[in-house]
Amino acid sequence: MARAIKLALAAVAIWLPAAAGSAGEEIRFVPVEIILDSPEPVAAWQFELADRNESMKVVGVENGDSDAFARAPYYDRGAIVRGDAERIVVADYSLAEESRLPRGRIRVATVHLMIEGEADFELTLVTATTSDGRPIDASISQQPLRTRER
Amino acid sequence: MSRTKYSGTPESASPDSRRRVARVVPGLLAALVLTLPVAIVSCSSEMGASPSGDPPLAEPMPRTAEPADQEIWIIAKEEASDDEEGPFETVVVTAAKRAPDVGDVVFDKTYQMGVNANDSDGRRTAGDHAKVVGRRVPTTEPPVDPHRVVRHSPGSGMMLASFPIGDRRPGRRHVPLPLKHTAVNADIDGYIGTVNVRQEYGNPYDTKIEAVYVFPLPEKAAVSEFLMIIGDRTIRGILREKEEAERIYQEARARGHRASLMRQTRPNIFEQKVANIEPGKAIDIDITYFHTLAYKDGWYSFVFPTVVGPRYNPPGHPDPVDAVRRGGARAGGGTPVEYLRPEERSGHDISINVSVDAGVEIEEFKATHRIDVERDGRNATVSLKRGKTIPNRDFVLDFRVAGETMKSSLLTHRDPETGEGYFTLMAIPPASRDSVARQPMELVFVMDCSGSMNGRPMHQAKEAVRAALDRLTPDDTFQIIRFSDRASQFGATPLRATEQNLMRARQYVDRLSADGGTEMINGVKSALDFPHDPSRFRFVTFLTDGYIGNERDILAAVHARIGASRIFSFGVGNSVNRYLMERMAEAGRGVVAYIGLNASGRKVMDGFFERVSHPALTDVEIDWGGMAATDVYPAKLPDLFVGRPLVVTGKFTGEPENVQVLGSVGGERLVLTAAENPDDEAGSSLAKVWARLRIAELANRQTWAGDPHNELRDAIRNTALQYQLVSNYTSFVAVDSMLRTAGGHGVTVHQAVPVPDGVRYETTVD
Repeated sequence: MARAIKLALAAVAIWLPAAAGSAGEEIRFVPVEIILDSPEPVAAWQFELADRNESMKVVGVENGDSDAFARAPYYDRGAIVRGDAERIVVADYSLAEESRLPRGRIRVATVHLMIEGEADFELTLVTATTSDGRPIDASISQQPLRTRER
Repeated sequence: MSRTKYSGTPESASPDSRRRVARVVPGLLAALVLTLPVAIVSCSSEMGASPSGDPPLAEPMPRTAEPADQEIWIIAKEEASDDEEGPFETVVVTAAKRAPDVGDVVFDKTYQMGVNANDSDGRRTAGDHAKVVGRRVPTTEPPVDPHRVVRHSPGSGMMLASFPIGDRRPGRRHVPLPLKHTAVNADIDGYIGTVNVRQEYGNPYDTKIEAVYVFPLPEKAAVSEFLMIIGDRTIRGILREKEEAERIYQEARARGHRASLMRQTRPNIFEQKVANIEPGKAIDIDITYFHTLAYKDGWYSFVFPTVVGPRYNPPGHPDPVDAVRRGGARAGGGTPVEYLRPEERSGHDISINVSVDAGVEIEEFKATHRIDVERDGRNATVSLKRGKTIPNRDFVLDFRVAGETMKSSLLTHRDPETGEGYFTLMAIPPASRDSVARQPMELVFVMDCSGSMNGRPMHQAKEAVRAALDRLTPDDTFQIIRFSDRASQFGATPLRATEQNLMRARQYVDRLSADGGTEMINGVKSALDFPHDPSRFRFVTFLTDGYIGNERDILAAVHARIGASRIFSFGVGNSVNRYLMERMAEAGRGVVAYIGLNASGRKVMDGFFERVSHPALTDVEIDWGGMAATDVYPAKLPDLFVGRPLVVTGKFTGEPENVQVLGSVGGERLVLTAAENPDDEAGSSLAKVWARLRIAELANRQTWAGDPHNELRDAIRNTALQYQLVSNYTSFVAVDSMLRTAGGHGVTVHQAVPVPDGVRYETTVD
């Protein structure tokens, strides 16, 4: 691809964590893992997560698994509310040496969501680049997780 | 493009997951028991909230019994301790005999020696602590042995973790609370400070808790980053409209998710909530803010406030900041701040590290605390001498840069994405101008005589007023107004500064005592409502700690009445309400000064006279040269007093070159040329600094003129959202949706804090 961006459809289990027993509304909190699959060491990335049904609210953005991206990624507030759907643009970069940059399939972020109703996610990889700024032929996918209980 | 649909069928965790949890939890508990010095003793409800989530219902702390006539000798004078945790025993006494080497100590009624030690009249040798020895006064409860771990549970059941053990002195009572440590790391680049504050919360109880902590930050701090840290996981908080953030937090809390919420209750007071902290677990909160440093007479000043002083709220105030005893907070409106009794310690401490790159040689440092300074060329790293201290007074670090190198300067930054330009201009009038004979003045002293000023603060305020009286000349007139619940004044009208009047005034000042509430509005009205003598320059000096909850009422009253008067506000104490002091001076076109409890009130007042004895730079204009400036704050340029710079912040287009500040000094025209500093790392924070000042300006307008159509509210909210800043209408929220903890939302525990150094618990806390 010219811009070397692949878009992938995530395989998703259709389930949702339990709502609080007492509350009983259709509100639940859902973590969505964002997985980047890159054939080369990735130094910077940016994705956009949107909900066509306007049922999600972003309530946190968590760091991923790579030590090279240990801090929590940044998000663009201006993009949270744009158009008719809640969306968030998340990005991060690393100045680590290339040998420390992640490659292959790696979780780059977890987006924490509050969902009221039915969500219809749309995930777009805006860019992924090497340390010298060259675009990477990468793909991105999402994996909603089961909320653990203890 | 990846697209996924979700529809909800609520589902609980699987039996397998429950079995896993069941296997893990006992192991964790066992580890805790093995690694911590745990002892379990009888039950009580020290923290006192019910598991249903009602506010904590602490057992009332028994009042310490008044001792009978008890003779106490002061036997030694010791050097002041920088961490206030000096080797002093808290002892209640009713009488004392003075040892010959102690000096100026007077006791005339019950007082306490210790962390907040002051004799009742505040007359104690500045900077010294006295050690008092004597029998402890019997109390209605047995003394707590701090070596022994006792159960302090917010609910019922048994304690899993130990109390903080560190202070083994008798008479101290340890109170386990969630906030363990606050770590402050600041980077100062030029006069822009980037400050990271990490609050480390833990749960020392046997049941799940929600921690609530009310804490201060500098009033113009642009809080722009918020992280919740759980182990090696870091969750970046999202800035949302205040009500929406609150709703998200409450929903997450109700469902057992770990969550945090940071909201602003005053420009310099914030409330942090952390929900669903499980027993023995920890959650850190990481906050980053930017601000500009104050500059005065060649010194930059970095201030980190550590505790909110106990505020007085007029009856019926809709949004009070209440000062309540530990365990006394109740659900409802306002912001309750719980305070520890003088003999109580929570174990919360604070560390502070400041890296300074002033851009020029730093000649000298001074600080309110003992510090270590490591220099590396023009850079320096400053830290607390003992690494940490208890947070009961402001940390103030002043550094003086080489006088010859201080120039007016222009710092600019262009946002690489939007292309918008931001700048901060600091214009420094020359300091070497000759003194001129000052105009006759009408000097009005407004002295806060409320309960929070009792003791050392009152002493400092009196010393400052006495020093000012000594500087008056027969051409001057003066008035002294005292206020607490009500206001009264020395003379019916301002009096000429004759020897006889000054003598009477000194006696009047000597007789003043501090007690009662802080109806500051009465002081403002008394000071500003009487007719102005046009032949004299009227200065109104407020001497107060500013411990009130109705700041906006006061500022509105000042704005409506200021007329031709100038306000010089003197903040008295070690943890002053700087927001009120700064805004009052700003509204009164004057400046602010602070009189710390170990400072010389006379010296500070001499500085005031030095300032007003020099001509101010008036009729200030700015020639923007090659750039077009917009949205400049402050919107109205103030007069410049000697040694005080003009600092303006704004947006720009064009080229930032040939910028000049023009003004008149004693009839002479003065031109200051601002050298442009290249866009550097610090410059990237200018946009947020600008946005914070814009919010402050809009809030001022709200205070002065009201906001019937909510236009100012909307402007503040939109600015805060655009620039990602906490404000009165925006809050940060973060939720960990990965885990739902069991057992409801736990018990709310308010983080009780010590009353500020020099402030008496008995006269300030309900």
